[in-house]
Parts: sequence; structure tokens; C-alpha cells
Amino acid sequence: MDNGNVIEIRDLTAGFDGRTVLDNISLEVRRNEIFVILGSSGGGKTTLLKHIIGLLRPEKGSINIFGKNTLEMNDDEFESILKRIGMLFQGGALLNSMEVWENIAIPLEQHTDLEDEVIHRIIRQKLSLVNLRDAYYLLPSELSGGMKKRVSLARAIVMDPEILFFDEPSAGLDPITSADLDRLILELKKKLGITLVIVTHELESIKRIADRIIYLQKGKNIFCGTIEEAKKAGIEEIDRFFGWEKD
Amino acid sequence: MIEKTDINTLKVTGDFRNDMINEFKKHYNDLNKNSSKPVIDLSEVEHAGTLAVAFLEFISRNKKFDIRTGEGLRSEIDKFARESGYENAETKLSFIDRTVVTVSGFFKELGSFTVLSADIFYYSLRSVFNSSGRRKGSVFEQMFLMGNNAVPIVALLSFLIGLVLSLQSAAQLKQFGANIYLVDLIVIGMILEMGPILTSVIIAGRTGSAIAAEISTMKITEELDALKVMALNPLKYVVAPKMLSLTVCLPILTVLSNLVGIFGGFVIGILYLDLSFDMFFNRTIEVMTLYFWWQSMLKSILFSWLIVLIGAHFGFKVKGGSEAVGKAATSSVVAAIFAIIMTDAVLSLIFYFEW
Repeated sequence: MDNGNVIEIRDLTAGFDGRTVLDNISLEVRRNEIFVILGSSGGGKTTLLKHIIGLLRPEKGSINIFGKNTLEMNDDEFESILKRIGMLFQGGALLNSMEVWENIAIPLEQHTDLEDEVIHRIIRQKLSLVNLRDAYYLLPSELSGGMKKRVSLARAIVMDPEILFFDEPSAGLDPITSADLDRLILELKKKLGITLVIVTHELESIKRIADRIIYLQKGKNIFCGTIEEAKKAGIEEIDRFFGWEKD
Repeated sequence: MIEKTDINTLKVTGDFRNDMINEFKKHYNDLNKNSSKPVIDLSEVEHAGTLAVAFLEFISRNKKFDIRTGEGLRSEIDKFARESGYENAETKLSFIDRTVVTVSGFFKELGSFTVLSADIFYYSLRSVFNSSGRRKGSVFEQMFLMGNNAVPIVALLSFLIGLVLSLQSAAQLKQFGANIYLVDLIVIGMILEMGPILTSVIIAGRTGSAIAAEISTMKITEELDALKVMALNPLKYVVAPKMLSLTVCLPILTVLSNLVGIFGGFVIGILYLDLSFDMFFNRTIEVMTLYFWWQSMLKSILFSWLIVLIGAHFGFKVKGGSEAVGKAATSSVVAAIFAIIMTDAVLSLIFYFEW
């Protein structure tokens, strides 16, 4: 952590049923940057994300979060790491039977013994941060796709995470809502000093928010750096992805 | 870091992280109880998490405390108060209002149930003569699922009920030498009450809950909307086949239940009361009248309608997500059993006193 890296991954190799999905991936994510994981479908993006947050375990390699190897931790130690990170799932992953405020209250009620009034005010503040003041008592089924994403964003940031993981934030959203979400992401980065790790395909979105990118092709890291560097690198696959093919 | 510098003072320095909040709260409650002039010194806090800020905002309204903060933290607390200080129109109702809402809600639900029932009857009746708008073979498929597959459980439970009912009564009848009246007891008991009720309660649990779960899932996943857009009426496409097939199946199952229950009584009569086959059979023919069977069938047809209507009602009114499906299924079973027993009591009184 001292060198400014919140996540460091070394030689990560992982697979399912003998099929290698991630092949010797090494990367580091610096504090307060927006790090975007790119790649074609099936390239291992979501798998990489799931390994970082501990939903899957690798075959070999190491994953350091806040300078500690998460693969060597016991459950309690890992839980204390989890309390410092937030995750936003593709579909929002809100609990359908609970109202919006109850969804956001889950981590507060489980991990603190704050008064109900304080919890309610924290929820209100987070909802106004994502511009959803009126959604307080609604059920997830009454929300639109973009609203669901924003509610789950509010839930993900309610404990002030230091790292926030996003799985395809713009999937299924129209360009305007998607741009709004990007603005929100940039605001969070600036206001709260959060580090963001984002998996996405949206070109516009990547150009707007990414500080650095990693490009995975068939589980291999073929590029890691800023977009400008990617442009200069002249890697065919990346040029095709961004539409930078030579005239 | 949190420390108590003296008996009245709580001092926080450095980073006031969210995970320190529980510890801080303990000290705060201590101070609140034991000190008359408590001081919380936050002037050396460099950074505070949202939870800490929220809690500080909360306690800053406790006038007893002297809270000292630096410029930065003060403005963060004020900002939090501004951003969170809006009210959502939560409806807090008085007791009377709540009662009114509950009662009117019940009548509203009864109203929508009545309308839905009328619709289902209409489309089911039309569906008898005109099979357009429902899937080919769906009535027979439903009959197989609802009727045929329920035969073993209905038969077994009816036999056991007939057996134990006769056994308990036989013990009493034996004392008076009134052995032969066991036949009256079991024939009347099974045909008029136990047969229809037992069968429809089993079917309410088996089929009623399935109807509610199926329709509510279809509603949540927008399948019902998809049907509507394809110019298909969900009542006709989904509910009518169930209505028709259960109207046929439940009476048949009830007949089965009646006969198997009486057979249970027969077993006790022969083995325990030393009745002969002839005696039992002749007495059965004497006691059993067409009028009893007619009552039994009327009841079972009414119950079959109740099961489908209530299942459909809870299915269609579902809102929310996956958990609501489970609730709809549960409520439909409870409501259906309640309605079945109520209706049975009313009908029995009417028939007994021949009103």
C-alpha cells in the first residue's frame, strides 16, 4: 500500500475444468484511479474480477489487497477486507423483496449498531448523492434499469469503501443514463477518493472515465497502461477494439 | 484513536474510521449516563468516514454535550445534515386510520376477487364451447396433473381417515351393542363431510398453491403481459383450462375418497366389530341415498371453484420479486382452506335443517 498500489496481482492463473481462463496475469491498481478491465467476450474479465473479490480461488499466483495477500487469509481477516471494498453487480443484485432503503440499510444494520435515525439519515444522504431522493420507499421492481444501478451504487458506497468494483455499469443503459452514471463515478472518485475497478465494453464510457486500462485476450494480459499508451502501442486487437485501424 | 482523557472528556484523534464507530458509541453512552458536563473533543480529527459524520451529526443535537470540532469536520457535519435532512413522505397513520385502511383494503380485495371470479367464470364457460384462445390439449394435460397424479395420496389418506374414524367410533358403539350403526356413521361421515373436505384440502395444498405460484411467476417475469400482447387473454389461456379440469377432477377424486373411506370403515367393521360382509353391504345400501351423493358432489364442485379462484386471485395480485411468489402460494393455501371449511359449514347447516 505504501507504494500507492491498493491491489497487486502477481502471476494469477485460473481456470475451470482444466480450461485456462486467466493465464499469468500481473497487474497493479493505484490508489484513487479508475482502472478499467477490457477485452473481448469470454476473455476472462468477469473471472478476473471475481478472483479479486474472493468469489473464486485461483490455481496459482497471489492477490494483494491493501498490501496483504488475500489468498492466505482466514475468513475473519478476509471479511475485514471485504468491509473496505464495495461491489456493484451487473444486474444490480438488489434484494427484490425489500424496499430501496432496506436494501441500502443491510450493511449498516449488520456491521454497526447505529441508531435507526442515524441509519435513515445516512441512507438519505447516499440516495441524494445518486440523485434518487424519491426512491426511498420503492421496491426494486418499481425501478428502471438505471435507477436500480444507482440504488446498488448507493448500497455499495454506504460503508465508504476504499475500492469499488463495477461489473459492466453501463450494460443495458441508454447513452444518456450511461453518461450520467459515468459522471457519478467520476464524482465519487473525486469526492470520496475511491479507487474504482471497472469491467466494461462501452467505448464512450472508457474514454470518459478510464485512467488506466488492462486488455485481456483469451485470458492473457496483452496490454496494461493508459489509453494514450494503448494508441501508441500499435497492438492490432486493441486498435480494432477502439476503432483505430490504420487507414 | 479514541481515548478518555478525563472523566468528562472523550477525545478522538487522527482518522475517525467507520469501524471505530461501535467503540465510540459505547464511550458516548457511558459519558451520557455518567457525566454531567461531557465534552467530546474532535479538534484533532483529520478525516472522518460517513458513518462517523452521521453519528456526530446525530449527537450534536444532544444539547448536554460540548462538542469541539475543527473547521473541516464542522463543515462536513453541516453538509451531511443538509444532504440528508429531507423528508420522504412516509405515511404514519393513527390507529383509526390504520383500521380503516385494513378494513377498506379487505373489501377492495373482496371486490377485485369478485370481479376476477366473474371474469374467470365467463371465460371458462365460453371455453367449454369454444376452444380458441387456449392451448390444444391443455385441459387434459391439467386433468392429468391435478387429477391422475393426486389419486394415490387422496386414496391413501382417505383410507386412513376412514379407518381411524371407524375405529374410534367402534369403541363407543361396542359398549351399547350398536355395532351395525358404524355403517351409518362412516357412510354419512365420509360422503357428506370427510370426503369432500379431505380431498379439497389436499388439492388446495397441491394444486391451489401451484396455481398461485405459476400465475405469480408468470406475472413477475412479464409472461402475462407477453400473452396479452399476442392478443391472448391470460384468463382464457392460463386459468380457464385449470378451472375446467379441476371442476371435473375434484368431484371424481371425492367419489374415490368417499368409497375408499367407507372401505376403511368396512375393514374395521369386519375385523373389530365382527360384522359380516352381507350386513355391512346391505346396511350401506340402505343408508346411502342419492341425496347424500348429490350434496357431496355439489360441495366438491364449489370447493374446486374456490381453489382455482383463490389461487388465481393471489397469483394475479402479486407484486415484487421472488419472495412474493412464495407468499402468494402460502396465502392461497391458507385462504382456500379457510374458504372451503367456511363454505362447508354453511352448506351443512343449510342441508341439515333443510332451509
